[in-house]
Amino acid sequence: MEADTPNIVEMRGVTKEYRGVPAIRNVDFSLKRGEVHAILGENGAGKSTLTKILAGVAQPSSGELVLDGRPVSFATPREALAAGVAMVFQENSLVPSMTVAQNVFLGDEKFFNRMRGVYIAAQQLMGSLNFGVDPWATVATLGAAKKQMVEIARAVRQNARVIIFDEPTASLTPEEIELFFALIGRLKQRGVSIIFISHAIEEALTIADRITVMRDGEVTTCAAASTLNRDTIIRAMVGRSLSSTLYEREGRGTRPAGEQILSVQDLSMGNIVRNNSFSVYTGQITGLFGLIGSGRTETAKIVAGIMKRRFFHGGEVIYGGERKRYRVPRQAIRDGIVYVTEDRKVEGFFDTMSIAENLQIAHLAASRSGAAVLRMRDAQALAQTWIDQLKVRAINADARVVELSGGNQQKVVIARSLVQKPKLIIFDEPTRGVDVGAIAEIHQLIQRLANEGMGVLLISSYLPEILNLSDRILVCQRGRIVEEFTAGEATEEGIMYAAVH
Amino acid sequence: MGTLARLVDYIRGGGDHSISVPPFDGALRPNERIEQGTIVASAPAPDNLVATPGGIVFSSGRAILACSGAVAGAGITTLQQYPTAVTALAATGDTLAVGLDTGGVSIRGGAHDGRSFASVDERSLNCPVALTFENPGTLIVANGSARHAAGEWKRDLLERGTTGSVWRLDLASGRAALLADGLGFPYGLLPLADGSILVAESWRHRIVRLSRDGRLEPVLRDLAAYPGRLAPCAAGGAWVAMFAPRRRLVEFVLREREYRERMMAEIPSDYWVSPALAPMQSFLEPLQGGTLKVLARLKPWAPSRSYGLIVRLDANYRPVESLHSRGDGTRHGIRSVLETADGLLAASAGANALVLIEHSHGG
Repeated sequence: MEADTPNIVEMRGVTKEYRGVPAIRNVDFSLKRGEVHAILGENGAGKSTLTKILAGVAQPSSGELVLDGRPVSFATPREALAAGVAMVFQENSLVPSMTVAQNVFLGDEKFFNRMRGVYIAAQQLMGSLNFGVDPWATVATLGAAKKQMVEIARAVRQNARVIIFDEPTASLTPEEIELFFALIGRLKQRGVSIIFISHAIEEALTIADRITVMRDGEVTTCAAASTLNRDTIIRAMVGRSLSSTLYEREGRGTRPAGEQILSVQDLSMGNIVRNNSFSVYTGQITGLFGLIGSGRTETAKIVAGIMKRRFFHGGEVIYGGERKRYRVPRQAIRDGIVYVTEDRKVEGFFDTMSIAENLQIAHLAASRSGAAVLRMRDAQALAQTWIDQLKVRAINADARVVELSGGNQQKVVIARSLVQKPKLIIFDEPTRGVDVGAIAEIHQLIQRLANEGMGVLLISSYLPEILNLSDRILVCQRGRIVEEFTAGEATEEGIMYAAVH
Repeated sequence: MGTLARLVDYIRGGGDHSISVPPFDGALRPNERIEQGTIVASAPAPDNLVATPGGIVFSSGRAILACSGAVAGAGITTLQQYPTAVTALAATGDTLAVGLDTGGVSIRGGAHDGRSFASVDERSLNCPVALTFENPGTLIVANGSARHAAGEWKRDLLERGTTGSVWRLDLASGRAALLADGLGFPYGLLPLADGSILVAESWRHRIVRLSRDGRLEPVLRDLAAYPGRLAPCAAGGAWVAMFAPRRRLVEFVLREREYRERMMAEIPSDYWVSPALAPMQSFLEPLQGGTLKVLARLKPWAPSRSYGLIVRLDANYRPVESLHSRGDGTRHGIRSVLETADGLLAASAGANALVLIEHSHGG
């Protein structure tokens, strides 16, 4: 990127206050034409606020926003879009009951909307972006990755000059991430400027031209990606070097296997889980790697009684030496199996309830006594214990879960599971959408649970996480476990080979 | 409710009626350590290995053979020929107890030389498959089946035999005591320090502890292969020779009575759908599906009809280590192992050889 390329966007001394508390403070930011600019930072660092101002979702309290050299102010996202700034949100902004094509053209329909033309145009657009999404499909039937593709297609269609991606890769599989990076390359060639918000530092280093790191609402670093590395970025993000605690094994060996707590044999469900067999032992972490759609989550959900196996010859789940077939999750919870969901917003908690209420409900679900008098004082005490243990950062136990950051929400989900006193705990993508500091804490927690003798099954698509935490690594592919690695011999290439072939 | 639940299981192939088998994972993760071992001696279908003061002795068909000198590069001498196949051996001092395929146990050497026991308590010792000395005067005998001889083990499995028994035999008086009955082919015995006996119950794929008061307590259940003879391990615990892997096809056939009966009546036993000790020798045998490879890789839990597997149990009888010869190997059908100073010695019926495997633990 030549230095004399004009800035398409510039922010000068922008501050945004929510009820007097600054979310971002005196931020200077610039974006050049055809540049990929990554913004990194922990949750709550102010990345989203910064980009929301740019996209017209929020207005700055003070400071100046300059587009093409002229000061502008967007009152609504629509105005921003008209000026060529589009944002692809982390939370989906699609209408689930409409088709893909309708969503792509949402808000731009003609008075007489001819659907055939819309579908053809959507098909062509998807084709040009190399996205394998059926325009006739209803959005509700799509997975997270395909929804993301629809969002991207929508932004591209609107001929945006600036596209802001908020955590675009969090829900994509490794291949899809490659495709997505290729797409960014193509957009860049067309002169589109891209702002890329991410937790994944490697991704930012791979595709970004420039990287801005934020901490506590301020910009700590802004430099060309080629001058930065993982360690300098982490230091800028959290003010200390976390790298070793995060993704290095610190020379520790593997934990020896304890009792076999779970044996899954020939478990089958539809086309998703096909004759899956594996074991989990107490006192160690069994990592389960697989691409999205390889049946990992479904297998775990069958074990935990959330889903049902095939009725005829559906296979066996042997837990603690006994054959189990749960009708409802409660039976599994009472036996000591808990599943920590990958989709916390939908399945993890009651988002408008307080932390205390959420934990109390989980406690009740596991308790064997029937109806009893509920005492909110007990709930408060319970919540306080777990808030302290897991270092949940909230004002108090009455804070509503929806108000917490991703990392703290995840901690509440984990606390809800631990309240139920499990013997076998299944973590499904425990650090998805969680900031670096919280990832380290959650990883420490998972290690501690294994050290305390619990059986831990860790499902993750993130290879460094699997490699760092697991004592045994299982690789799932097309509905069954195809390979087992010990922690010492596993390599990223070996695991990926097993997962793909 | 129990009956109804069992009926539902029967209809949908779940619970006890499922044909699922556990995978080779965790401590049973496949490796090539048996294939990497060295062949120290060749003999047709070597069976039971025992250590005597004069060296290592093993049975092979009708003969009892001895390895002379050190294990590596040993010469083989014949100690004795019997008119019928030798099915089990045990040694203490100079005394050798020999189980025979026609039934009965005879003693060779030592204070009770020449004695033989064809039946105990009016029950025939028709299938002595494992022997061990509790002390020089007391022999523990595992009679695999009350209905079939040791060579007919496939038939006993396919008839879902549970007629095995374990006896304590006083060699001086000839008195015998029944320790346990109704076992599914007790194929391995290991006396423990506390006076109880570890028994490998092959057809129930488990290892049980038989305590002095006659109680049977399973210590390891639902194994992925049929456990065979047990051997003490210097590091504590035990070695288990697993002579054949469990397979879904066999589990399925075990649930189809009519099919099994016709198969056993009409087809030679080599070609039955059953576990085997040696890799495929004839195209008439059921195909070893597990030897098929996917993208040039033998998948870790590929099931095959024969397999070589030795498992080490720790002091709590949990599997901690395993040695394998996989579907593409030949050193299958390990029926007996012995820990020696040079390493672990295994008798492979598939390779017709004694294999010495390097072993670091307490070797």
